[in-house]
Amino acid sequence: MSDATVLVLMSTISTGLLLGAIFALVAAGVTIVYGCVWLPNASNGQFFVLAALIAWSLTTTLGWGSAAAMLAVIILGILLSLVLERTLIRRLYDTPNRNIAYFVLTLGLTQIMSGIFSLTYAKWSDQFTLPPLFEGVTMFGAFPMSNNRLGVLVIGFLLLGALFWFLRQTPYGRALRAVFQNREAAALRGVNVRGMYKFSFVLGSTIIFIGGVLFALAYSFDLTVAWTMAITAFAIMIVGGPGSVLGALVVGLVFGFTQAIVSIFASPTAATFSYLGAMLAMLLVKPTGLFSR
Amino acid sequence: MSARSSAMNSWLAVAFAVLALAAPFLLGDSRFLAFVLGMTLINVLWAGGMNLSYGYVGLMPLMFAGIGGIASYAMVHLTRVEGWSFWIATPVVSVGAALIGVLLGLPALRLKGFYFTLCSLVIQTVLTLAFIFFPKYTNGDTGISQIEPPDWIGGTRLSGVWLDFALAIAAVLGVAIVAWIVPSKLGQRFIAIREDDILAESLGINVTRYKIIAFFIVSLYAAVGGCFYAGYVGFISPRAFDVLVSLNVWLMVAFGGRGTIAGPVLGALVLAPIPYLLQDLQAIRDIIYGALIIVVILALPGGVYGEWLKRRARHRQATTDSGKLADQRT
Repeated sequence: MSDATVLVLMSTISTGLLLGAIFALVAAGVTIVYGCVWLPNASNGQFFVLAALIAWSLTTTLGWGSAAAMLAVIILGILLSLVLERTLIRRLYDTPNRNIAYFVLTLGLTQIMSGIFSLTYAKWSDQFTLPPLFEGVTMFGAFPMSNNRLGVLVIGFLLLGALFWFLRQTPYGRALRAVFQNREAAALRGVNVRGMYKFSFVLGSTIIFIGGVLFALAYSFDLTVAWTMAITAFAIMIVGGPGSVLGALVVGLVFGFTQAIVSIFASPTAATFSYLGAMLAMLLVKPTGLFSR
Repeated sequence: MSARSSAMNSWLAVAFAVLALAAPFLLGDSRFLAFVLGMTLINVLWAGGMNLSYGYVGLMPLMFAGIGGIASYAMVHLTRVEGWSFWIATPVVSVGAALIGVLLGLPALRLKGFYFTLCSLVIQTVLTLAFIFFPKYTNGDTGISQIEPPDWIGGTRLSGVWLDFALAIAAVLGVAIVAWIVPSKLGQRFIAIREDDILAESLGINVTRYKIIAFFIVSLYAAVGGCFYAGYVGFISPRAFDVLVSLNVWLMVAFGGRGTIAGPVLGALVLAPIPYLLQDLQAIRDIIYGALIIVVILALPGGVYGEWLKRRARHRQATTDSGKLADQRT
């Protein structure tokens, strides 16, 4: 292989891993909430962009460091999802066909948030860039990778690992998975189902927030990323199987690599087309997804 | 339905028809108000179609605006490039777009509730992307401007008050057709499917076939509305047919009262003028519409008119009950 081929290969692999980790995080956030609460969060893309925009405001306008901004966004994400749970989400916990009601509700939320963004951030800038988390460049042979993107990549995979460990090894995570599988049985075994609904909504939304900050640290972004992310997260959830975190991880990585490879030859929109096609095919052939139990 | 309420319904219908048809002449002086009226009438037509699907069959097709977009772009192409008349192009492309709508929706019709809506959202997104990235017919994000208004006898163009009047006829006809379908055998089967499609199937109703018929009619409404939109506004772009437009038409139906004739008309009359009265503040419209969606989902599942009907029925029940009680006592 020539040097140029190696460089392209390395850059595709690093972009694929980076995008894949972020896609997997956001999709895991969406799928945890859907599996547990039955809430397909259509506003996940707006949450994602909100996190990125808050981080941008804290670093660019207020001059905070990126690490401090990231922590602040996580705390704000937890607070915001607690407020949303208390004011809106809680009211539909006992509705029979609540997934469609929640879907429309979060579409309404999407419309409100995009309206607020176009009144505020859209007027301030059309491209947003955050200062890097880490300085410097690491060389992999001839391939340079910025320490910043490397750091984001490591944080992303560490978080995914922590999420897996949490869901499989801790009592809270086991209770959450019990609610995924069978609400009534979990309730009979003494799991506080409504408490789990609240917990999983906050957990899932916070993961989406973290995904947004990581994306903003690695790439500069604009407001259109909200809708693309929302569609991509839904596609990953449907293809991977609603409620399956493993599915979100595997399909998220596949989609990340798809985007990285397609972007070499064509525009990223072509990748979006392929996700939509994959989701449509999966909905028609096997709506329960690849990794459903 | 009691004789009194059906008499009231016919009065409402006549009042709406007379008002809608007279309005273009009453507002004739102000072109701005006339424009708001025209846009409202197009939305009345759209809401009527969406109501047939969401209100009577129980399907929420978020690709509604996309179908309207297909028809609109095709109509503009035929009239501008091929030199067709608006009045021939509109029915042709509407039937064509409705067939495309059925073809696209056919596989999704097996799905129910949320999965159907998600599938229709995916199709809508594909259509929006297609409008942007195949600029040969659509001129991409820039859109097509200076579309001529519909042609008229003697080589003139239908414009001003008479174009408003044509829109009013279309809106009144659209609502009248829904009102005519609902009590018919077809409409009753739609309602049976909405209430319980498994029961409907076991009663011998071919659920898929009736869903396809409903889908065809709904797509026809979307398409005719899209053609009138292009002829009336004179400018179309992918944003005129994106998912928010579908969602807004859905909101008009849900806010007014799904599954009633008057509700969606009311919803369109109240909500459609908002963006034009706000002028440049389109973002405020998004915030208002989004907040109303949340209000409808959490507090007004039957819509304004639906809740009013329910409250009135409860009130009447209470008065007859207390009347009976009084009879027993004496």
